[in-house]
Amino acid sequence: MEPLQVIAAPRRLRILQLVWDTERTAGDIAAHFDVSWSAISQHLTVLKNAGFVVERREGNSRIYRADQAALGPLRAIVEQHWHDGLGRLKNMAEREQRAKDDE
Amino acid sequence: MTDPDVLEVTVDIKADTETVFRYFTDADRYRQWMGGDVVLDPVPGGVYRVGMRDGVEAVGEFVEIDPPRRVVFTWGWTRDDTVAPGSTRVVVTLEPLDTGTRVVLRHYGLPNHERTVDHRDGWTMYLDRLAVRAAGGDPGPDPNI
Repeated sequence: MEPLQVIAAPRRLRILQLVWDTERTAGDIAAHFDVSWSAISQHLTVLKNAGFVVERREGNSRIYRADQAALGPLRAIVEQHWHDGLGRLKNMAEREQRAKDDE
Repeated sequence: MTDPDVLEVTVDIKADTETVFRYFTDADRYRQWMGGDVVLDPVPGGVYRVGMRDGVEAVGEFVEIDPPRRVVFTWGWTRDDTVAPGSTRVVVTLEPLDTGTRVVLRHYGLPNHERTVDHRDGWTMYLDRLAVRAAGGDPGPDPNI
């Protein structure tokens, strides 16, 4: 899979964000997604194979963390994506506030 | 040869089999490791219903109850066509150890590898929570609630 293809998936971007600068277990990551236990493992495998996350084992647990440097030039794209997401949230909140103020 | 559609998760718990068994059949105890609204009627044909957030529920019925060694129930999800309510089967066996209980959970009939992986992750997380709770600890809030 091409590196750009790896990050062009909302769930994988969300996983990257979750493990961007903190370690999490597979179960902890999965808990951030659909409650009917929808597959996060495949996405983790894709990210791992691309080298964008590193996995280590501790007992029975697999623990993941992003390798920011491995993303290379894509790192800026990923961070911009989250930044824009927050920007949209800010715009929506401010629009809502203005609507209230106009009432 | 192993059947790719059977998943098995094992956990050792520092509590006796009678104690661990009740965490599978008693709703008040069950919700301490999984779910919010939990309805369990542990008789053959009795309801097994574990509510998660957003109205999603794990739904099936009890098939076999053999305290304190074995419990079998069907399993599936509301709003999930690939694993519909009652469409799969979970067999839990409890083996006494010197130090507590070994829980072996086998999940049969999951439709494909992807959903098997989903459920392996799910059961692994929840059985770890059960191990903490049944041994007297606090596993914290269920992250799916």
